[in-house]
Amino acid sequence: MSDSLVSIARALVFIVVALVLCAVIFSIAGFSAELMFSAILDGAFLRNGALNHALRWGLPLFITAVGVAISFRAGYFNIGAQGQFYVGAICAAFVAEWTSGAPAFIVIPLCFLAGMIGGALWALWPGLLRLRSGADEVITTLMGNFLAGLLLIYVTSGPLKDQSGSGQQASSRPLEAAYRISNSLGVSPLIISIAVMVGLSMWLLVNRTSFGMMSGLAGRNPTMVTWQGAKLWKVGLASFLISGALAGLAGTIELMGPNGRLASGFLPAHGFTAILIALVANLSILGSAVAALFFGGLASAALYLPVIAGLPSSAIDIINAAIALFITARSQLIDRIMRFRSRANG
Amino acid sequence: MDDIIIAILRSGTPLVYVTLAGVIAQRAGIWHLGLEGLMIAGACATILGVVFTQSIVLALLIAVGVCMIASVLFWFVVEKLKANQIIAGLGLTGLGLGGTTLAIESIFGSQAAVSAPFGLPRIGPLFGSFGNLSILVLLMPFFVLAFWVLLRRTRFGLRLAAAGEHPYAARSVGIEPSRIRLVALVIGGALCALGGAELAAGSLQFFSQNMTAGRGFMAFAAVIFGAGHPVGAALAAMFFAIVGALGIRAQLVFGDRVPHDLLLGLPYIATVIGIWMSARLRGGAKAISGFGELRDN
Amino acid sequence: MSETTPPVLDCHDVTVRFGDVVALSNVSVSFASGAIHAVVGQNGAGKTTFARVIAGLIDPDAGSVRISGRDMPKGSVNDARRAGVELVHQSFALPPSFTVAEAMQFGGAGGKLYSRSQLERRWQAHLDALNINVKAGQRIRDLPVESQQSVEIARALVTDAKLLILDEPTAVLSPEGTEKLFERIRHLKNAGVTIILILHKIREVLAIADTVSVLRGGKLVEGPVACSGIDADKLSELIIGPSARPLDEDDRAALTGSAASLHTHVGVSEQDGAAAPILDMKSVSSAPDGDGPPLIDVSLGIRPGEIVGVAGVEGNGQRTLVRALSALADVQSGTIALDGRQVTTMPLQGRRIAGLRVIPFERNVEGLSLTSSLWENWSARKLLQGSLLSWIRPSALRSECKSALDAWDVRYATVAQRAGSLSGGNAQKVILSREMDEHARLIIAAQPTRGLDIGATAFVWDALDKARRRNCGILLISSDLDEIMDICDRVVVMLSGRIAGTFEPPYDIARIGAAMTGVTHER
Repeated sequence: MSDSLVSIARALVFIVVALVLCAVIFSIAGFSAELMFSAILDGAFLRNGALNHALRWGLPLFITAVGVAISFRAGYFNIGAQGQFYVGAICAAFVAEWTSGAPAFIVIPLCFLAGMIGGALWALWPGLLRLRSGADEVITTLMGNFLAGLLLIYVTSGPLKDQSGSGQQASSRPLEAAYRISNSLGVSPLIISIAVMVGLSMWLLVNRTSFGMMSGLAGRNPTMVTWQGAKLWKVGLASFLISGALAGLAGTIELMGPNGRLASGFLPAHGFTAILIALVANLSILGSAVAALFFGGLASAALYLPVIAGLPSSAIDIINAAIALFITARSQLIDRIMRFRSRANG
Repeated sequence: MDDIIIAILRSGTPLVYVTLAGVIAQRAGIWHLGLEGLMIAGACATILGVVFTQSIVLALLIAVGVCMIASVLFWFVVEKLKANQIIAGLGLTGLGLGGTTLAIESIFGSQAAVSAPFGLPRIGPLFGSFGNLSILVLLMPFFVLAFWVLLRRTRFGLRLAAAGEHPYAARSVGIEPSRIRLVALVIGGALCALGGAELAAGSLQFFSQNMTAGRGFMAFAAVIFGAGHPVGAALAAMFFAIVGALGIRAQLVFGDRVPHDLLLGLPYIATVIGIWMSARLRGGAKAISGFGELRDN
Repeated sequence: MSETTPPVLDCHDVTVRFGDVVALSNVSVSFASGAIHAVVGQNGAGKTTFARVIAGLIDPDAGSVRISGRDMPKGSVNDARRAGVELVHQSFALPPSFTVAEAMQFGGAGGKLYSRSQLERRWQAHLDALNINVKAGQRIRDLPVESQQSVEIARALVTDAKLLILDEPTAVLSPEGTEKLFERIRHLKNAGVTIILILHKIREVLAIADTVSVLRGGKLVEGPVACSGIDADKLSELIIGPSARPLDEDDRAALTGSAASLHTHVGVSEQDGAAAPILDMKSVSSAPDGDGPPLIDVSLGIRPGEIVGVAGVEGNGQRTLVRALSALADVQSGTIALDGRQVTTMPLQGRRIAGLRVIPFERNVEGLSLTSSLWENWSARKLLQGSLLSWIRPSALRSECKSALDAWDVRYATVAQRAGSLSGGNAQKVILSREMDEHARLIIAAQPTRGLDIGATAFVWDALDKARRRNCGILLISSDLDEIMDICDRVVVMLSGRIAGTFEPPYDIARIGAAMTGVTHER
């Protein structure tokens, strides 16, 4: 118990350190840090309907983050959530296009299936390259993100192009209203229940199955697990596939829920934010739910800033990046203070 | 033919500078995923420097200074706070991308591209059709050679490698690995600034947000591909540039028959193949990060 | 000591703490120049810490170090080296990818810019002058351990070393290699170098040192005394201390390294001659894979209730043998049968279900995940008996783990604590409790007592003996000849991936030693 208190305290301390760095950057760029932070706080958590907005962004983020946590736990640095998210959305969009006209209760499950398979496949090839040849997954999944981004541009300006669209951003034809699983506010009972199901089933997988324990051990010491006779590639491949499928699922939700169509370069920070959520939560499923709400709030503030407060939305990117810079830091000092306190108390 | 070579040199030179930064960091024991962020900071600082000081020399100095300061921050987080190199590197990249966007937004009021009245000096008409290339292209081979000498033929290079490969061995002869890494990262920061400067002010003379488009990550892949050897890594970087240039060329040849966006992906695919090949040749990469430490309990 | 020649080393009240552990406590000692000084003690007595403090690698929490009469600033390797102190590390501090010449260059004096051939010529001359038979262009990772040690000594002598500290230099050497090393050390002494030898075998201390000092629990319990004035029994009492239980014959034998084993075993071979062997390896050869020499035509049988020892200089294929038995090395030809079943192509998971248990070489890497909890580490073997999706109940596993650890007398606070927080002996007991369950048939114990103190060592021996009485087959790999000769029913010697000899008790250390170094080839 005191161990997890230490890690929560550490996460909070380094988030504060990150915010201080952000304040410095904002001031250098000529913004009042005070104004900036109060606007962000307002946009993220305090304005009317803030919780709704945080959920709209937080639920898909949570699903992707759970996938990231599963692959990180197993020791694989799959940072390709963004690409898997895109490919999942693209596959779902294609299926929706092909089955157009069929009843919703057929189309929607098919789209979800396609999205998850697409995301899983986009994680499969880096997984195989890693497990069979030892090719480092950090670079391959990163390159996968860029490739998926190009694929999205191609799809939205080619096969699925919306001819009537006149904006500067290429996008696909909008989904028929019957196939949408939420309105553009992006919160519906279906989405909430999907997120709850994902959270529950993944919590069970991690905490109550042999797979969960093996991957936890393998992530910390693959050599030891090998000497116990485990087939690491099985655990590894499953982790890659699950994390890809969940990112693809989140992409499908974004497509069929709030967005209703594909747009080139949509939600460019989704994967990175999901990685942050998993890390801030110390790779726990439960913690990811809390962290997702926080980062979901920040994501909604990114839209609020330029429109309501007249401030640049890149401020949110900077906050996220600064948190990433510090979140894995471990200062002896915090450990010592916490140990001292727990000893004094008990 | 000339124009292909010019195109390759233009896209390859920034990559080579940033790759050298990755090589020196990797030799010292740091897997540097912040290259992308440093590169875009260098690009942005160079263009803004030219706009505001009207001097390319001052602009370069500003860019180098900014990247060196950011490198010191990265060093502090990774070495002193013991943060995970990969995640902290991605964070530095995010700071570079977000920070440069914020900078141009706060100065010019929009996210549109910023152009500069002039760029880096050209190498001049003496070189015929190559005369329009910047002097950083001309200097690039000398930098590679200098790095080869520095890393492979000096005692400093040996100490750097010892600090990266066997920090305890370094400590036992009185070398402080963490200090060596600071030196390596700061030198690397300066090189990233040059790479960014060449990218933005070499032939283009403008800065737009996210203009590095993953080149920093490609440079990182070139480091792995080249097994940390400066010449090998530089060649790998040039290889990625060649693939990119051929893709653009193929576009002119094939026209609409092959989707344009997919040809743009060729360098990324080449990078993946490069990583895969180097893993096959060397029997699997060492895990570049300690995962166990990502989770505390 | 006269005033003109101050002692080469003078420590005053040196104290070092690591967290809550006091590694050295108020150690005051001074060593005269021009002699060979031995420092002995059990594992964990603070010997290595002591060496590192002198070399400037560890900053003492209190106290001062004077070298040749000069005060050393705290924790500065450079100052210590300038004063002529050089340390030869227990596990060598040489970057494996460097060539010998580069390894000598990077920490030494001399040119800042070099060409490769010039560098190699220069250091080759230095190696030749020291009579070290190593090529300067070879890579460190390609050298056998004895040569690595020579290179490290040569590197230490690049600068004008006045005080050379060798930390457990004999641990990796064959008896013959040890003799060679001692020859070199005597030679250095004649050249005027003062030498501090960290050792743990009394036999070796008495063979080479002029004076001996004893560390126990971080305290100096005997200042430097002349070796001529002390005998082996007295020294072993000093090392173990009065608080320990009285020494039994085994302990004394291990400690003093007496050549003849005091233990006489009743050979089980005659009675159980008919029983199917637990392990039957026939002509096994393995593919080279860069992790030690491959096995060449290795045949080995273990009967129920038999402990077979594998002796040999480290790096002669012992590791490959264990990996081949654990299905972690590629067997190219030959067969392996476990308890009467062919397992040659069976993966480790199947072999474990069939009764194979492995106590691997590297306790902290291959045996335990230090950052994971005790119960997770302990449960790992059970988890692998089912499919990946099988349901587990952590609370049940935790309580099972608790009762197992209690039965093995592991000292721990809770089963949720990290494995890394245990001492070496307790960590080893966790592995024993996992690997020596009632279903075990063949137990491979690779260096099971390395780094353990005498009490924990005796515990491990006792556990192996109990398993033998349950009719398990046991393969004991150890670089400690005394241990092997003491508890094994049969000993095989490995040399360059082959079995270079098989020996039955009573053992003749000279013949085993000869087989280890390839002097004779015994069938």
